[in-house]
Amino acid sequence: MSQSKAPILSVEGLSVSFPMPRSGIFGERQYLKAVRDISFDVPAGKTLGIVGESGSGKTTAAMATIRLTEAQAGVVEFNGTDLFKLSSEEMRQQRQHMQVIFQDPYSSLNPRDRVGAIVREPLDLMNVGDPKGRDARVAELFELVGLRPDQMALFPHQFSGGQRQRISIARALATNPALIVCDEPVSALDVAIQAQILNLLRKLQEELGLSYLFISHDLGVVQFICDEIAVMYLGEIVEQASRMDLFSKPQHPYTKALLETAPSLARRKSAGYRREALVEGDPPSPLNIPKGCAFAGRCPKATEKCLNERPELTFDGNRSVACHFPND
Amino acid sequence: MENKHMGTEVEAAAHPLAETARMFIKNKAAVLGLIVLFVIILIAIFGPIFYTTDPEDMVWMAYSPPGEEGFLFGTDYLGRDLLAQMMQGARVSILVGLSAAFMTVFIGITVGALAGFYQGIVEEILMRITEFFQVLPTLLFSMVIVALFGASLPMITIAIGAVSWTAVARITRAEFMRIRSLEYVAAARAIGAKNNRLMFRVILPNALPPIIVQAALMVGSAILFEAGLSFLNLSDPNIISWGRIIGDNRVNILDSSFAVTIPGIAIFITVLAISLVGDGLNDAFNPKLRGR
Amino acid sequence: MEPLLSVKDLKIEFDTRYGRVTALDGASFDIHPGETLGVVGESGCGKSITALAIMGLIPSPPGILAGGSIKYQGEELTTAPEQRLRQLRGGEISMIFQEPMTSLNPVFKVGDQIAETIMLHQGSSKDEAMDKAVELLRVVGIPEPTRRASSYPHELSGGMRQRVMIAIAISCQPQILIADEPTTALDVTVQAQIFELMREIQEEFGVAIMMITHDMGAIAEMADRVAVMYAGKIIEEGKADDILDFPGHPYTKGLIGCIPALGKASASAQTLPPLAEIPGVVPPLHLLGKGCAFADRCNEAHDACKVSPQLKGSPHAVACHAYRGDVA
Repeated sequence: MSQSKAPILSVEGLSVSFPMPRSGIFGERQYLKAVRDISFDVPAGKTLGIVGESGSGKTTAAMATIRLTEAQAGVVEFNGTDLFKLSSEEMRQQRQHMQVIFQDPYSSLNPRDRVGAIVREPLDLMNVGDPKGRDARVAELFELVGLRPDQMALFPHQFSGGQRQRISIARALATNPALIVCDEPVSALDVAIQAQILNLLRKLQEELGLSYLFISHDLGVVQFICDEIAVMYLGEIVEQASRMDLFSKPQHPYTKALLETAPSLARRKSAGYRREALVEGDPPSPLNIPKGCAFAGRCPKATEKCLNERPELTFDGNRSVACHFPND
Repeated sequence: MENKHMGTEVEAAAHPLAETARMFIKNKAAVLGLIVLFVIILIAIFGPIFYTTDPEDMVWMAYSPPGEEGFLFGTDYLGRDLLAQMMQGARVSILVGLSAAFMTVFIGITVGALAGFYQGIVEEILMRITEFFQVLPTLLFSMVIVALFGASLPMITIAIGAVSWTAVARITRAEFMRIRSLEYVAAARAIGAKNNRLMFRVILPNALPPIIVQAALMVGSAILFEAGLSFLNLSDPNIISWGRIIGDNRVNILDSSFAVTIPGIAIFITVLAISLVGDGLNDAFNPKLRGR
Repeated sequence: MEPLLSVKDLKIEFDTRYGRVTALDGASFDIHPGETLGVVGESGCGKSITALAIMGLIPSPPGILAGGSIKYQGEELTTAPEQRLRQLRGGEISMIFQEPMTSLNPVFKVGDQIAETIMLHQGSSKDEAMDKAVELLRVVGIPEPTRRASSYPHELSGGMRQRVMIAIAISCQPQILIADEPTTALDVTVQAQIFELMREIQEEFGVAIMMITHDMGAIAEMADRVAVMYAGKIIEEGKADDILDFPGHPYTKGLIGCIPALGKASASAQTLPPLAEIPGVVPPLHLLGKGCAFADRCNEAHDACKVSPQLKGSPHAVACHAYRGDVA
């Protein structure tokens, strides 16, 4: 991965697991291994996409990086600061530099606050500027994301999904963060609105020099907004490459399967389109992780080796793939 | 062109609670309950000021039926004016009801919020304590408190509060656990809100609706509880309450039933009104019924 | 060819707090045996209402059938007695829903739920119905169907549950299968499996499918003909290829343009051009005026748009004053 600039966020060996309820008093406690030893960098001013299906650990990984979920192992360096070593007050102070846009525009805004107060809250909490300046800043943010400042006195339920997501974006931008974690920011929106939000996110990145850690299950969206993409499956990164490499020459069979399912108008029933090499079944449970390659059970070209031996993520000078037979 | 982004016309900034109020007003039974309650409270506050007969004075012979000799409700077993007693009793009953409910809510919210917010060991300990109080036989426990610490009004209030806060604690905990996992709580944490703010400024206001409903019903059950204790002669003998009037006059229930019936009806109407209000609040807070 | 289902000028109103609103305004379309009609639009456009109306499942109150007709094989359904509708529902016309978890009863085994439908509509004995249920589970591609028949819904994955829903839907050899966003709640790889299954079933049993979706990619892959809906009206209708390649209505153009679709060209470009946007949001139904509902968001709007345009043309029909016929 040829980046000249130092990454703004660098994650090394991140693991997250959740304890499950014991089965009986003397039962052994099981752990759900949501994220297993992953590493990635978010280049400054660029977008790293993490793509995967539900249960792949992509959201958990992102939330653990900014300490909204507790990680069991790993090192996260943000602008040279080791986040996992900070005290909770130091971490709180750091939060003004890293913000989040959540998936569900209906549950990510407190229904009892006016939207102006919602956008202003980060400024209040971080003591940015004086009270008067904060109001002006909120008005400015509203305009920046395409809302009218006179809507500040309204409550979230008076807005549509797309407008609420704009409010979320305004809140995330309030403290001038360097990094924004976007957790499926458009998956709950209608396509027409999705396009508006995606264009807005890209415009803001260009104007403000933001870096995004962008979580999505939709490869079409990821292709549009990301520079670098990591594909996650069952808590691990199975392939990581630049956008062009990943989309033109996918190597991991899971990446190929995902690409097969991404939105396309070219696959016509009228032209007799049929899917080839269909991936079968469902992903295995993160409570019971297979010994070999996690994808082997669903992979059309799995061999004995894949079932028994876990492939390492290896970097070939251009991209990283975790597959025993990437080029077949 | 740019303006087309902006959609929604600015309508009145309807506070979420305005909607709740709108729903509540639509519920006729609840509004009736509220009016009745209001009248009872007015009588309790202003009655004794305008009707100056001392409820402790023996003004006429015992058990004079209602209406005779100018005594609207008649007199009790000592010949005291029952109307004056009822108005005085209303003050006590409502005061006990409100303060016990307040205490219940205070303890319940504190315990429930801490247990629901900090899981793990804090929750374990707090919930075990809650369960301990829940399995105590309520009447027996309050009798013990009153027997040990004396039958003063504050002690009775504490006794009632101590046995009824568990329901509020459980509701609060459940609501906290539900709301804590919502994204706006994570969002507040992500912008640097501290735990206290998360608990009391972000989660609590959203958890309040079912707690308010429970608190309203709690006022009713506290009034009933106090009446029960007074009836059993376990309350302060110097303080007149509705339950005490019933208890004092119960010996002659067959001859002079009015002296028992009148306070009985007062308790019934008050508790019913409170229940109607609580029910109305519950419906008004329940978003599933909205927009119809 | 005689249409299997013919909907004419269907009008459905709802009583809301804003007064009576028209949720479906004069929808007309036919479904022929063995074909797939795709109904596409954003949330709230009336596509699900249309499906519920065909099933006779519009909740009333607040819903009101205000006019029009639904003919199934020549038989009028809008005036048919409830008993006849019950007979048709789940028998000749069946439906699968978006959320397979909530459409299955959690306290019964899936085999029993399939068998119950069979017993209800075909009067078979319990044993026959159970045998058939297992056979159906095999048809919809559930491994170990005999064992799975005695599973409860929560023991199955989302994809499996949707397969069970399809098994129930096809258990009585329906003529029409109405699929309301059948894959929206599923992961993309599983989504592909369900699409494939639906196509296999269509080929094997010759069932006509009415597929409701917001996803143009699904339309391309699944539909023979398409109806595009906006704010309670069908605004464009025709062959899938015609609509995808030569969309006539500005809204359809916008919908197609705003998809971040994959393609060779976009994979190789350094930065992708912004997505096409449809500005603004769908107007709420109670604020619809006399004119074209899309005019506020339309670049081509002019004076004529103050009058609502009629759906004109065959086989490619468009409801737009600016439309001058297929350019191709």
